[in-house]
Order: sequence, then structure tokens, then C-alpha cells
Amino acid sequence: MLKKLILIPVLALSFMAVANVAVIVHPSNAAALSQDDINKIFTGRAKTFTDGKAAEPVNLTETVAARADFDQKALGRSSSQMKAYWSKLVFTGKGTPPKELASEQEVLDTVAKNPAAIGYVSAGAVTGNVKVALTLN
Amino acid sequence: MLKRTLLAATIAASFCGASQAAVDINGFASIKGGMALSNDDELYGYDDDFSFKNESLAALQVKSDLGDKLSVTAQLLGRGADDWDVKFEWAFLSYDLTDTLRVNAGRLRTPFYKYSDFRDVGYAYDWSRVPQSVYGLGFDTIEGASLYHTTTLGNFDSTLQLIIGSYDGEEEIGGTTAEAQIDNVTGVAWEVGQDGYSFRMAYLIGKSTFSINQLDTPVSGLYAQLTAFGLGALAKDLDIVDESSSFAGVGFNIDKNDWVVVSEITKATVDDSFITDQKSYYISVGHRFDTITPYVSFEKEDNTAKTELYAAIPTASPIYGAVSSVVNRQQLERDSINLGVRYDFHPSAAFKAQYTSADNKTADRKDSVLVVGVDLVF
Repeated sequence: MLKKLILIPVLALSFMAVANVAVIVHPSNAAALSQDDINKIFTGRAKTFTDGKAAEPVNLTETVAARADFDQKALGRSSSQMKAYWSKLVFTGKGTPPKELASEQEVLDTVAKNPAAIGYVSAGAVTGNVKVALTLN
Repeated sequence: MLKRTLLAATIAASFCGASQAAVDINGFASIKGGMALSNDDELYGYDDDFSFKNESLAALQVKSDLGDKLSVTAQLLGRGADDWDVKFEWAFLSYDLTDTLRVNAGRLRTPFYKYSDFRDVGYAYDWSRVPQSVYGLGFDTIEGASLYHTTTLGNFDSTLQLIIGSYDGEEEIGGTTAEAQIDNVTGVAWEVGQDGYSFRMAYLIGKSTFSINQLDTPVSGLYAQLTAFGLGALAKDLDIVDESSSFAGVGFNIDKNDWVVVSEITKATVDDSFITDQKSYYISVGHRFDTITPYVSFEKEDNTAKTELYAAIPTASPIYGAVSSVVNRQQLERDSINLGVRYDFHPSAAFKAQYTSADNKTADRKDSVLVVGVDLVF
């Protein structure tokens, strides 16, 4: 209960501080990506980019604020709805959720190194080592 | 023992960095307590003593990706109602033929319903339990092979599943336990969806053989006695030996603007037997208010006993009582209403409460039950 009371102001703060989310890929990735394409890749319904090359999505853990923003803006669902969605696939052998990384820095590093990777960070965190495929407002 | 071997293999795999096989371990659990709300009420295994055991369960799943598009998945599940004895609920290997075609072979879920595959994973849906009027048929697992084809048709996501296999186990038939076998199960399930709307249909056929002691015992069983009376033809009309059986189901789901509507209608038949056509449906409507989702649902079972089977037997006949009782036990008209709520209080857990009132018109009784609990995934 106490935890919840503390959580509420923290959540309120993090919502007020909401930043745009930048979906990032490797600089060599030339594929054009719409929000729908990103939705398909992050829900396991598409395994490739629009140019046919394999896509390896990387997610953020729920402790990072950009995760909830991404789930809402790119996938149109809350993080618990996404967890329910993946539990349907995981426990029936139909799919595996994207790997979760603990920080935006790890996502930036992974995407900078792997030409197949696709991830997201808050727009202000983007560096020159990655390419912004789409910014979600 | 087997479990320990698996565990050992898992530990070995996770410690051995060079190992090729990536092993994923996931689990889910439901801890539920409930009770019937009146002295004489009984429903879904609850009576008027509060029970934490009846519907609680825990499961552990190990999936190993063996590379080259081959993976193996085993799910061990223990139910409180079975004294937590752990059983393999699923055990299968998967092979991706292409990006859109996958073969699963082993112990699988029979794809009768929309929620068949994950009916035990409470976290995946809002109810405390899948609607029993529809989901209470039994025959939930099958040994066989299934082919999945997932694709997009225009703007629609389509999943087509073909399955072949057989069922062998115990099932409750007309209030008694039967040794049940369904051979040559062949079926198709197709789900198509777009942006919060989805539609599903399933059709399965098979050859059923159910053996019930009081009916099938070679000398003292009902069928043997009927045959001795010169009523071999009637015995054949009643008994369940290699009978053509079918299951048909359609359903839809709308998840739009925080409204969640789900409905399924099903019909199961076993030809040339005392088993009646089992017709059921449910409809559920819920609304998501951020982390709280209240819902209401209505279920109906409408099974009419095949009384024509004994219409020609004079009521004075010594076999009338036995035959009519076997046939009539299939009669069931029952309406159920559920009111419940899901509360996502934690990123990996949901609290749920559900009240159910079942009106059994055939037996002229009403039973109600309240269950509260937590569903989680890990």
C-alpha cells in the first residue's frame, strides 16, 4: 500500500515528463518503417523488415519509462495488456517476446552493433551511432 | 525424477556458456480461493467450505531452441484439485518449415475453442475461469501433429491450424467416469483478425469409443443384458463404439476503445449413441478502466436427451427404467451468469474476483459460487 502511494506521484511525474519515443535501427538499415510495421515486428507478427531482411527487436524492461510510452504509442496497449498478449504465445509455444534490456544505453549499444536490430529510446537519448526510423509522438 | 533430469539439463545448459541450446524458462500460476454461497450449493468443485485448492494451479515451461528452426517445449502443470500432482500438459517439438508454416508434434491442446491453448494461463484473460458451459466438454489435450499457417490477407492477420491425432484418457460422461478414446481426430481451426476485431471457427471430427463400467461390462453391463433380451439393435444405438463424432465452434472477439466483447457458440455430437448433441454458448462484455476491468457474462447449455431411443420400449418392460435413465441423464438446460473484475495491481500479476450463479432448469436447482485470487506469469 505504501509502495502504491509512492508510485502514484512517481508515475504522475513520469507522465508529465513524457518524451517522444524514437524507434532506432542500425545506420546501414535502409528499410522504411511505418508505425504498423513496427507494431508487427514488436508483436512477433512480422519477422523481417519491409525489405525482407530479418528483424531482431529489442525491448526495454518495464522499469524504464520509455517502455510504457512505446507500448502505448507504437502498440496501442498498456504494458500489462502486452504481457497478457505474450503470455498467450509463450505458453502455447507460438512465440517468444523480444529480448528486454535494462537501460536505453544498452539498447543504443545493441542497435549500433547489430544491423538486424530494432529498438527504441526516448527521443533525447538518440546518438549518432544509430538511425532514427520513426519518431512516435 | 523426470523433472529433476530436466532441471539438471537446464542448469547444465545455463552454466555451460558454449552450449548451443538457448533455454527459456517461464511459468504461470493461479492461486484462487472460493466457496459456494449456500449450504447445499455445489459448483465447479466448490461446496460451502472455503477452498484454496480446487482451482489453484502452477506451471513451469521449458523451451529449448535447438537451432535450425527446431525447438522443443515442455510444460509441467500441477493442479491443486489433483493434489498438485505434476503432469505434462504440453510436450512437443516445433519445426519452422518456412516463415509462415510451422509443424508442432507431440502432446498438444485440442483446438476446440478460442482460449483452448491458454485456458490455464489466467493472466491472459479477464475472467477467473473460462466459461465452463462451453469449455467443460473435456478432451482438452491430444497426441498428434498440427500445422500452423500464419499470414496476412490484405489487412487481416490469419492463423490456420490443421490438426491430426488421437485422444486417450478418462472423461466424465453423464456423471460417471468413462474410459474414453477418440481416434482419427482431424480438425481445422481458423482465426482471422484486424485491429481489435477477430473471428474464429473450428471443426473437428473423430471416432469415439467410451467405455463405462455399468454399461459396458461384458456380462452384467446394460448392453450385454439388452443383447440377451434380443435387443441387440437398441444396444448398438446406445453404445459408444467407434462412433462418428464432431465438434463445431464459431466465435468472435472485439477489443476496441477499452470495450472487450467475446462470444463463442459450440456444438458437439456423437452419432449412434446415448450421448446427446451438446449445444452451448456464452457472451461476455467488459470494459477496461485503466487497470480495472469489470465484466459480465452469460452462459447457456442446452442439451436435449435423445428420448426417441427408448420411445418404442413399453414402460412396463424391465429394461425401460435402466435405458431411460441412461438416456435422460444427458438432459441439461442450464443458464449461468457471471459478474467479475480483474485488477492489474502488479506488472506480472492480476487480482480477480468472480461471482457465478448457475440456474439448472433440468434439476431445478440454483448454485452460486464466489472465487477470488491472483493470476501471475513469471
